[in-house]
Amino acid sequence: MKITLKIWRQDSPKSKGKLETFHLDGVEDDMSFLEMLDMLNEQLATEGKRTVEFDHDCREGICGQCSLVINGQAHGHESHYTTCQTHMRSFKDGQTIFIEPFRAKAFPVIRDLKVDRSSMDRIIQAGGYISAFTGMAPEANSIPIHHNISESAFDSAACIGCGACIATCKNSSAALFMSAKVAHLAKLPQGQVERKERIAWMVNAHDEEGFGSCTHTGACAMVCPQEVELLDIARMNYEYNRALCSTN
Amino acid sequence: MAFIQGLFKTSVARKNIMAVTGLFTAFFLVIHLVGNLILILPDSFFPIEFWDNVASQHDMYNAYSHFLVHFWPISVVAWILYAGLAIHIIDALLITLTNWKAKGEKYVKSDNSTSTWYSRNMGILGIIIGIFIVVHMGQFWLKYKVLGTEHDLYDLVVGTFKQTWVVVFYEIGIIALGFHLAHGITSAHRSLGIHPKSIMNVIKYIGLCFAVVMAVLYGIIPLIIYFNN
Amino acid sequence: MALNAKIPEGPLKDKWQNFLDKTNIVNPANRKKIDIIVVGSGLSGGGAAATLAELGYNVKNFYFQDSARRAHSVAAQGGVNAAKNYKNDGDTIYRMFYDTIKGGDYRSREANVYRMAQLSVDLIDHMTAQGVPFGREYSGYLSNRSFGGVLVSRTFYARGQTGQQLLMATYQALMKQVKAGNLTEYRRHEVLDYVIVDGKARGVIVRDLITGKIERHSAHAVVLGTGGFGKIFYLSTLAMNSNGSATWRAHKKGAYFANPSWTQIHPTALPQAGEHQSKLTLMSESLRNDGRIWVPKKKDDQRLPGDIPSEDRDYYLERRYPAFGNLVPRDVASRAAKERMDAGHGVGSLKNAVYLDFKTAIGIHGKDTIKERYGNLFTMYKKITGIDAYKEPMKISPAAHFSMGGLWVDYELGTSIPGLYAVGEANFADHGANRLGANSLLQASVDGNFVLPNTISNYLSNEIRTGKIATDSPEFEEAEKAVKNQLKKLLAIKGTVPVDQIHRRLGKIMFKEVAMSRNEKGMKWAIDEIKKLRKEFWEHVAIPGDDQGSNSELEKAGRLADYLEIAELMTVDALDRKESCGAHFREEYQTEDGEAVRDDKNYMYSAAWEWQGGKDWKLHKEHLVFNDIEVKTRSYK
Repeated sequence: MKITLKIWRQDSPKSKGKLETFHLDGVEDDMSFLEMLDMLNEQLATEGKRTVEFDHDCREGICGQCSLVINGQAHGHESHYTTCQTHMRSFKDGQTIFIEPFRAKAFPVIRDLKVDRSSMDRIIQAGGYISAFTGMAPEANSIPIHHNISESAFDSAACIGCGACIATCKNSSAALFMSAKVAHLAKLPQGQVERKERIAWMVNAHDEEGFGSCTHTGACAMVCPQEVELLDIARMNYEYNRALCSTN
Repeated sequence: MAFIQGLFKTSVARKNIMAVTGLFTAFFLVIHLVGNLILILPDSFFPIEFWDNVASQHDMYNAYSHFLVHFWPISVVAWILYAGLAIHIIDALLITLTNWKAKGEKYVKSDNSTSTWYSRNMGILGIIIGIFIVVHMGQFWLKYKVLGTEHDLYDLVVGTFKQTWVVVFYEIGIIALGFHLAHGITSAHRSLGIHPKSIMNVIKYIGLCFAVVMAVLYGIIPLIIYFNN
Repeated sequence: MALNAKIPEGPLKDKWQNFLDKTNIVNPANRKKIDIIVVGSGLSGGGAAATLAELGYNVKNFYFQDSARRAHSVAAQGGVNAAKNYKNDGDTIYRMFYDTIKGGDYRSREANVYRMAQLSVDLIDHMTAQGVPFGREYSGYLSNRSFGGVLVSRTFYARGQTGQQLLMATYQALMKQVKAGNLTEYRRHEVLDYVIVDGKARGVIVRDLITGKIERHSAHAVVLGTGGFGKIFYLSTLAMNSNGSATWRAHKKGAYFANPSWTQIHPTALPQAGEHQSKLTLMSESLRNDGRIWVPKKKDDQRLPGDIPSEDRDYYLERRYPAFGNLVPRDVASRAAKERMDAGHGVGSLKNAVYLDFKTAIGIHGKDTIKERYGNLFTMYKKITGIDAYKEPMKISPAAHFSMGGLWVDYELGTSIPGLYAVGEANFADHGANRLGANSLLQASVDGNFVLPNTISNYLSNEIRTGKIATDSPEFEEAEKAVKNQLKKLLAIKGTVPVDQIHRRLGKIMFKEVAMSRNEKGMKWAIDEIKKLRKEFWEHVAIPGDDQGSNSELEKAGRLADYLEIAELMTVDALDRKESCGAHFREEYQTEDGEAVRDDKNYMYSAAWEWQGGKDWKLHKEHLVFNDIEVKTRSYK
């Protein structure tokens, strides 16, 4: 099939970007969205033109490196897909496709469609861990955890850190991302000791990075490739209030 | 304690304040509605025999408003309500400002199908409601309570709702309120940290019902008065 | 230099303890004076970096992704093995050691494998303490599943995302160390060369992938946790940016490369759908527990799978291996699929797949049970192919997966360059000629968290008086110049053939002749083709743009240049080994019914190759001695 691409091109973080139009012929149904971009880049390389920069790695939906806002939706129009899982069969012949980078103040554009998402790592750095130095752990079965609690912790821990939630949020809030980690660790017995400090430090880091406030529109959960639930945000708020009320 | 600053400053704390003030105001809506439902009681309801003075809707409504103005604890609650509303508005402005700052460049092509329009536009709905409240208070509270230029509130209300623009204006305000509540009630509970799935499912349902009931009941009062005789 | 594996004295089960008892350690007060460069942020590299930072060393962590959490350990699905014996099914450390050695077809070093089995127990404790939500029974205790090639249940899992969960724990530990100031991250930095001063690894030359700047970084030791090079086949289960450059460039600086030709070909990946394809997604091996593999008996059968009656189907694994059936080890399953496809029985538009059919299992257990067991895999299959596998069989195909080969390391994980260490898939240890399922997460984590931090101190204890390593020495100067020259040379080509196109062609050559089954004639042809392709690359590759700022084509080209050399060494290694063992199947050395024939008399060694400046390689043999295990022939009939 034939498609028209309108792709955001921007040379460097400071320069001004704009959409550039490309026409691509011979796109096949079986191609993944990123393979379609590969095809475009091969054409550009043959013509000696600078190729379109985009982030990608595992191409099986787990590394969280691919991004892109396709026709206004993070990771494309299919809900709970990553961009690498999106295939061209879900587009129509002759369609115009807009491709833009993930947008947020905390996600500066590096070049074209590549953005810097290190702000998310800094939220984790603030407290998204359990301090257990190598070699000091007790026997694993000494802490029984109910099957359902473990599974529920997994649901939150499944977050791949792609940042689609932030790119989609009208407030550029990282609430869903942050809450997935808070909920994962708060649900487990191992996470109890540092529970209070964790939430305080992480929320502070979130705000310092310049992310917005959550207004619960729910758009984030709709695009999340791992279907992290909006309830995790409520859980995070609970943890925050719990920390506020605790006396020690 | 280091967390105390977190009571006001962080993004999560600010949402807490929005939630508490919002829910308090929503509770007031119920009280306010109960009194004003007198306005739509049918004539056949009167006189109420076990209540000696109440011969008509007119008397009952004025007795109710007299009570509101002269029973001092109500004034205290009222001032808390005004303060709550003011905090709700100021906090909303602060949050909105931060959120604007957090936004990157606008998407050239945007698609909002992943969320409802009213959840995204709580601010605009809030502004409409704010204007509505100012006009509404100017029409009744100011004249009846503050200035004391009007003594028969019932006549004032019925007279006001005979004007077409007032009815239209009220309906717009009340519809905005309905949508504000439809998102606000659930959102407030999330902000406060209610997270068990089963409870949250019930709250979602209750929030929506509350919004519809409030909007419908408030909405029919001006209409009934307008179309009556 | 002769190979010295530095295996500690004593009985097998005491070796690690003996090592720990006698090894030199660094005084905590002196650790801050010591810089360590760790390349890679996955389970091995990230684990090592976090643990070394915890110990108080000054760690610099380099990786090319945008976050440490992207490392390809993230994609491992099935699980991680540990000899906990929670099931009381007779599992022991020795049994795990035995299974691993046997699975690797008796081509790995006893002492290393035994240590891995010993430390597997601690690893589960460590990961659980860090919050990894492993699968659990309703009683609240940890659950196990069984995996190919073993008789006990020793695999711990976190749904189908075990690698992701282990990596998250490692990443979080890493992030904690960043905040604590013990570790500096260099994200989006690619290591392009190493600096050797007085025979010791003393630093790296890196390129900042955002600004394009070339930087020098020095350290007292360098650790590589840079993974495998299976992406050399272009189509593989690896991530797009996974590469062999970090290990290869170390090789060119003097580190020996061991058993490069041993690449595991995974039998259950999704088939290639067209020329444009970039990646073959892995479907967990666990599917073979309930799925039956078959091809049509008739060549070029055009009927839909549902229309082919069972008498016209060839369940070839059940036919050839009645004992193990669909559960034969990976190398055997892959080879059998290739045999059928080569014979013209492949299915799908490119005739490059076989069916994996769940109809029988759905009939027995019901759709709900199958959904509960494999639901996420069926969903993934549908996302990628658009096909509902509950209704029609999946199409699967073998794909390049894991590099058993890698940098040669001794017991202390040190390469043949003093001060240069290799952990995880980047080294050659532990898996022999074939890796067992769920052992890769284990090896990477154990190397990074438990082994390296203890062994590297033996080396570093001599470095406390060295002081900061200067980066203005002639060695740094020279290495930086070489890197810059190579970039300049690449950019000057200005050809018209895209990088990926050459990579695809290289992949085809390698997959045809140096993958599942190999023969001398084919491999000699392959070497010629590789050389031709290398020439074409250096004359005609198209790299637009410049080296100022992000330029993916330039990055890919640099990696492909290395692949074009690795490919040759892989072939040389495969040609040298005139036997069939594990993943290495030489057509000349097979029984009449097509089974592998190993030659223990002549080939019981690990082949460690030394770079000779581009002309041929010098072979060093590490002879393998098996004192604690009886060497047998693998049979799955």
